[in-house]
Amino acid sequence: MKKRSFFGIAPPKLTYEILEDAQPETVSVAPGEKITLFIDVPFEKASTALLKLGDEVMGGEKLRMYPDSEAYAVSPVAGKIDAIMPFLGIMGKQMTSVTIRVAGDGRTDDAFGKAMQTPSLETAGAFLAALPGKPDFDQLMDAGRPVKTIVVIGADQDLLTVTNQSIVKNEIASVKTGMDTLRKITGIQNVILVVPSHLVQAAGAAGVGVKSIGNAYPSAHPALVVLNLLTDLGSSRSSGIAFFSAEAAAQIGVAFKTGQLPLKKHLTFVKKDGSRQLVSAPIGTHVKDILETLGESVKTGDRIIFGGPMTGNAIYSLDHPVQPDTDTIIIQDQEEIVLSADTPCINCGQCVRVCPTNVPVNELIRYLDAGEYEQAEQQAELDACIECGYCTSVCEARIPIFQFIRLAKHALERMKAAEEENA
Amino acid sequence: MPNRMKLTVSHAPFWHTGSKVSTKYYQIFAAALIAVIAGLLHYGIPAVAVVTFSVATAMIWELVMNMAVRKPTSIGDGNAALIGLLFAMLLPATTPWWVVLTGTFVAVVIGKQIYGGLGGNPFNPVIVSFAVLMIAWPQHFDYNVALVNYQFDFNPVYPLVLFKSYGPSAIESFSIMDMLLGRQVGGIGATFGLGLIIGGIYLIIRGYIRWEISVAFLAGVGLTALAFNLSNPELYAGPAFHLLTGFTLIGAFFLATEDSSSPVNFIPMLIYGLLGGIMTVLIRNSGAHVEGVVYAILLINLVNPIIDKIRPKAKRRVMNYA
Repeated sequence: MKKRSFFGIAPPKLTYEILEDAQPETVSVAPGEKITLFIDVPFEKASTALLKLGDEVMGGEKLRMYPDSEAYAVSPVAGKIDAIMPFLGIMGKQMTSVTIRVAGDGRTDDAFGKAMQTPSLETAGAFLAALPGKPDFDQLMDAGRPVKTIVVIGADQDLLTVTNQSIVKNEIASVKTGMDTLRKITGIQNVILVVPSHLVQAAGAAGVGVKSIGNAYPSAHPALVVLNLLTDLGSSRSSGIAFFSAEAAAQIGVAFKTGQLPLKKHLTFVKKDGSRQLVSAPIGTHVKDILETLGESVKTGDRIIFGGPMTGNAIYSLDHPVQPDTDTIIIQDQEEIVLSADTPCINCGQCVRVCPTNVPVNELIRYLDAGEYEQAEQQAELDACIECGYCTSVCEARIPIFQFIRLAKHALERMKAAEEENA
Repeated sequence: MPNRMKLTVSHAPFWHTGSKVSTKYYQIFAAALIAVIAGLLHYGIPAVAVVTFSVATAMIWELVMNMAVRKPTSIGDGNAALIGLLFAMLLPATTPWWVVLTGTFVAVVIGKQIYGGLGGNPFNPVIVSFAVLMIAWPQHFDYNVALVNYQFDFNPVYPLVLFKSYGPSAIESFSIMDMLLGRQVGGIGATFGLGLIIGGIYLIIRGYIRWEISVAFLAGVGLTALAFNLSNPELYAGPAFHLLTGFTLIGAFFLATEDSSSPVNFIPMLIYGLLGGIMTVLIRNSGAHVEGVVYAILLINLVNPIIDKIRPKAKRRVMNYA
């Protein structure tokens, strides 16, 4: 936790974690009795459901919920379906959670092995979207927005995390294979690797254009990467850029090299005492199994954060599974938690001074507090916010600004969707 | 679910610098006390009475308003106490109790609470109250009359009055050192220049007030006074006199910097401060009033929302990214 320093003339600086040379071994965590996977489709009791309780699944098998939905998860283990339930994600996002009781036999599904004989973007989209790092192939398939550049970010998006850095450092060959594969299946020649400055040398082995970013949060954010590094590409609205994390690229590389779906998620685990441990666990592993393996105890009132300290999400159950985009798990002691307050904005301006995109946060929060979301967008640059959370971490009145912003954006999105539907 | 452990669930970010508004106001209160204590030593028990009564009544008004509008009790955040203290610092030591009581009422109730309380006031509550009272009962704000029964070992005339009436030649008896050390007549906490400067610099270093506003305010006073002085030294006093008398220092460090009524962007803060300094000297030199700081700050509070519109262009993402 970064405390306010004695000297307060300049705003507090947040910096990304730097992966040191000598690092402890990655700890491999085996799934416990059960694993849980999320499928991005609302749960409904339909007779057409493709998955039923008691169904056998194989390791590497693609699981779809309904025939009319393309959304899928990939089971990293063989086992039997134990429970299918609705799951409410962030902002009421409706998903389906599938719990699988792990069975010992190592049978694996070979659908991808066969499909990869003809490598194409469709194959990748149909099998690799649930890989660790959560590669988003939809951004490449949008006909309305042709992509001309692929940017692989070998830096971590949030503080305390070294997941992507460790991939660049230790698995640069896989990253290279992944980028070559992406180039091959998309036909896009312009691939750029963005890494923190201390990894430029390691990244050189990838054989693509390398750009380096500074250590100040949130310079690794895709929007800022475009604004600061890729000005030559980002000047016109039509030029598309697709983003992948280094981990996603590496796993795409591994998948196409071996014909097997790599389903072990690399993540940075931060203990209560602040020490950090790199962990590798199959997607779907419950957080309690990781806690058990690492010998970390959690008591009532503590906070478990999936994702970094600035942009992550707190979870409410020890049965919450590792997801494809869970780069970080942080355990916070109850004593460490600073709660929000209902003090009004006193206009001190700290938020304005730290905002990386110059949003007038002090004006914005007044509109948001009053529920004037459209005004916030028109008058106070709501849409320029990149959701880094910086303003909220320095707010003297402890206003949950970030949550106000997320709510506003969500409400505006729903309003626009409703308008389009009625038009 | 079999697992019944209750975890703390909240929204991002999960890091906070730990700063809070009460710390800020306690710190400003403490920094202001340096100058107040010098004033108390100067003026004795009557000054103690004014300061304590002012702080106490400001907090009581805040509590009364909290109850009247059924809002959570907010006297713990230190803002009301700070308003009371700053108000007392401007007053002469012999101010009658009912003037103090009315003053804190105007400051806390009319200056702050009717705008919605903390953070909602468009004007500095202390300045609003002082301006209102100065018009209502000018006789109580005449420092020469108010302090007539004190025996001082220095010139017992309010320097700004002396200057207004007799020109710069009359104020030659005030040395810079005297004014810095509080050897001049004035408000309880407004005369000990050195203490105000130390308190102000401390707050700037800690980041509780913005240096841009204080420095620009002082620069505005200094430069405008210098310009007047150069144009006609016989008629206008030099910058040192204007910087060290009246409410200039307390205005620059404690009044103009009030968060809610001051800008937050860099250039607006400079303009705001400069404007305040310029207006101060203009009012003192060519206006009808002896002291210009109070009205100057009222004026810059008034233009604050407009000048704070000068802000850097928001950096906008040029495309949708995944």
